[in-house]
Amino acid sequence: MEQCILHKRNLNDWVELMLGGYQVFVPSRVYGEIFFLPHAGELEFDLLNGTAVLPYLPPKDIVFPQSETMFSFSRDAGDIDFSVPEKAFEKSVILGIRSCDTIGIHWLDNFYSNNFRDFYYRNRRDNLTLITVACNQPMKNCFCICCEGGPFLDPEKDAFDLQLIDFDERYLVECNSEKGKALIELNPGLFSQPESAVVEARDQLEQKSRTLFLPEPTSYMSTAIRRITSNSVPPEVWTELGERCFDDGGCSFVCPCCSCFGVGYLSHGETGCHYRFWDSCDYSGFTREVSGHNPRAEKGERFKRRFFHKLSYQYVKRDGRIGCVGCGRCITACPGEVGMPAVVERLRRG
Amino acid sequence: MVKITPTICSFCNNGCGMFLRSDGKEAIGVLPIINHPVSEGRLCHRGWNRYQNLRSLNRLSFPLWREDSCLKEVTWPQALEKTKEKISELISRHGPQSLGVIGSSWLTNEDNYRIALFCRNILETSNLDGSYRFSGAPALAAFRELFSGPFGSLGSIPALGESRTILVIGKESHRDFSAVGSRLIKAFLHGSAIILADPLCVHKEHFFKYLLPYPVQSLPALFRDKKSLPPDVIEHLFQPGLALIFIADQVDSASSLVSLLQSLSQGSPTKNDLPLMLPLSRSPNLKGAWDMGIRPGDGGLTLQEMLAEESEVKGLIIFGDDLLNHLPSSSTLGKLRSLEFVLVADRFFTETARMAHCVLPIPLLAETEGTMTNSEGRVQKLRPFLDPQKESRSVAEILHDLSRHLGKDFPVFSGPEVRNEISKNISPYEKVASESDLEGVGGILLPASKAQLHPEVSEPQEQTTEENKYRLLVPNSLYAWNRNQMILESPVLRIEYPGERPAVRMSPLDARELKIRMGEKVKIRSDRGEALAPVEVDENIPSKVLMLPSHLIEVVESLAGKGERDATTRTLFFPNLFVTVEKI
Repeated sequence: MEQCILHKRNLNDWVELMLGGYQVFVPSRVYGEIFFLPHAGELEFDLLNGTAVLPYLPPKDIVFPQSETMFSFSRDAGDIDFSVPEKAFEKSVILGIRSCDTIGIHWLDNFYSNNFRDFYYRNRRDNLTLITVACNQPMKNCFCICCEGGPFLDPEKDAFDLQLIDFDERYLVECNSEKGKALIELNPGLFSQPESAVVEARDQLEQKSRTLFLPEPTSYMSTAIRRITSNSVPPEVWTELGERCFDDGGCSFVCPCCSCFGVGYLSHGETGCHYRFWDSCDYSGFTREVSGHNPRAEKGERFKRRFFHKLSYQYVKRDGRIGCVGCGRCITACPGEVGMPAVVERLRRG
Repeated sequence: MVKITPTICSFCNNGCGMFLRSDGKEAIGVLPIINHPVSEGRLCHRGWNRYQNLRSLNRLSFPLWREDSCLKEVTWPQALEKTKEKISELISRHGPQSLGVIGSSWLTNEDNYRIALFCRNILETSNLDGSYRFSGAPALAAFRELFSGPFGSLGSIPALGESRTILVIGKESHRDFSAVGSRLIKAFLHGSAIILADPLCVHKEHFFKYLLPYPVQSLPALFRDKKSLPPDVIEHLFQPGLALIFIADQVDSASSLVSLLQSLSQGSPTKNDLPLMLPLSRSPNLKGAWDMGIRPGDGGLTLQEMLAEESEVKGLIIFGDDLLNHLPSSSTLGKLRSLEFVLVADRFFTETARMAHCVLPIPLLAETEGTMTNSEGRVQKLRPFLDPQKESRSVAEILHDLSRHLGKDFPVFSGPEVRNEISKNISPYEKVASESDLEGVGGILLPASKAQLHPEVSEPQEQTTEENKYRLLVPNSLYAWNRNQMILESPVLRIEYPGERPAVRMSPLDARELKIRMGEKVKIRSDRGEALAPVEVDENIPSKVLMLPSHLIEVVESLAGKGERDATTRTLFFPNLFVTVEKI
């Protein structure tokens, strides 16, 4: 890993250089809410400092869009033409992504690369560089500290590209990949060597951030993992939690780790397309078979399945971590107030 | 280029706030608005997938005219000229009352206002109605006509979470309407007592403190008598600040709702304290359509009366409504076929559009500027998110062009101009002329007025239970989600709402006892007659209850006769009755 210093006054110049070869997604306010949008106009610096800012729509949407056309077809005089949209696969950068969302994308990398290599995901992901901004100050719903999802990325174990750590007027830049290095090399003159005091202060900043999490969302994951893995959660607890689930799918959609999709067809006359869209294991149709039989017809069963996938050691062993990064979006999205921390707390109580 | 537009959901009448996202050409996603007062960043699964139906390729693209029993593509001037000829001919032969006009709760307030104006001033007929009234009208009438003030005492969705006691009528109320349901859970977590009244509930979920397994019609007698209820239910119910949530679509008569309110208010310590009410509906602009006047004028016929065999109506002009999908009676089809002229202006090629003489394409709600009014009386703006299809024309343009062809003047009011008119003519809507207020997240909340109960309401008579008899419920399933065009056009929601076989639904316990298998026909007998119907075994039906969808109208009519008409709204309903079931 390499470390260097970037003055915030040079950030605009750096982004301008990136725009020469990349599409740069930056956090931007639209009608008061924050979205990652292609950079146009001025950078909003308050969204790029050490205070956590999580757009409600997770940046996984950039690599795994809420809906995307896989191919279109049309028939003209007997010949059938197929076309795959390729414009979406240009080189891109996400500037200002937070550690939880970065790790969420790393989790998706596993899903879309192991066993099978997903053409659409991989084409986007291979062309994407992530510039993470570490969180010196978490938000009220954040609990990444319980899930190894932040507040800083760990250069020893997280294979990130670049991490910016906010030191008021400057960023300490940590570069951990070739893709990250390529961005620095756009103009190495914008960066300087860090003085040793800054490097030492980095760990103190991280330690301080770890003390700033609020008690409510902070979750005792280990008990939940143990109880789920050993199948010692009584069925009535899953029923109770399932009754609070509205089957809305919101938690899956805003979760940086959820990777499930469905496939739809649209056709009219001789033209049409095949597209995929975010799907959710909350939905009763998700597991219903063509015969009409549904192995998880009970809501409690579907709920159990979701949390089994998120927290069971079976998946930790396979994927290297739990399927939650502690971003807290599910707390906002869940109408039944059974987001991850509430469920973990319920499981802990037994 | 990504385009993000704040707007409101149009699946139900909660009016949740959402951002619709497009790539400049088509809808690519949805995100709930976190600081929206109704939804606070939450949506139901319909809302989360709302973008999907906007991609449908099954849109109506061109005006169609029936020729030699086939619908053929025509130009707009041709369609309008032929329509004018038909309308003029009907008026000259039979007078203006031979025409009926149908508005819709899937249209904006502005379009419904224009339609009501067109009906009164251009066609000069008082036969104006909408199919939304079949399911929501009794509840609306109970508010509108039996209470002083414009719409009675509506509850506020955000304040629901603070209510100490919530009486929920119909178990679908909370999950089907997530903005309300999330407040219900919030209230539960704060220790409020939540009471569920639903005869179709097998087991109560843990956050319901009590389950009253009775239909709405039985509740007033129970609440007056008090003896058959646990003491703490009475204690919780009869205190000020009670909130009442119900599905307007399932209130079959105004009198049943009013007598329920009466029993609740008379039992409260301070008397005449009315609960705050939230009428939920699957019709997104239920209240708006009603307030804009989509209901019969003086001497005008209701939709059911227009479609009666003996009706004088010869021509029907239908805006944004699929009558064949929404109306229960099979005679609707016969009547529509027998009409001399049917015009359908809609977005998709619906069952009703297939029957029409003229079909005109109109924009989707996502392509329309206008407002809708939600269940708590919140007027919110729909912003055009997609460009209208090239050949579709707005309702305003259609009305203007038709009027011009008929030799009359119907100005194309812009959205703000119509809202200005509405603010002058419809009393609780005074503030809608303020564009700046409407632009804000959450729009404008109409003023609520203090409700006073009408003293004279006759109470529906509940039949007594008889041993070995089944309670036959004929719920109003007119707006079943699996018939909703927006759901049919969405791949994921189509999977979530599989089509139901038309059958009488029975508990597995009863089916086992009678040795009846799924799909087998049974003989159902009531005091009035008997009928055969296939059985669907449904785990969600309690024992000794049969559920018969009103779409199986022949079976319903054989058992319950022609039904009853609500005295206030003149809409048809079928009171619950007791029947016997025999294996054939």
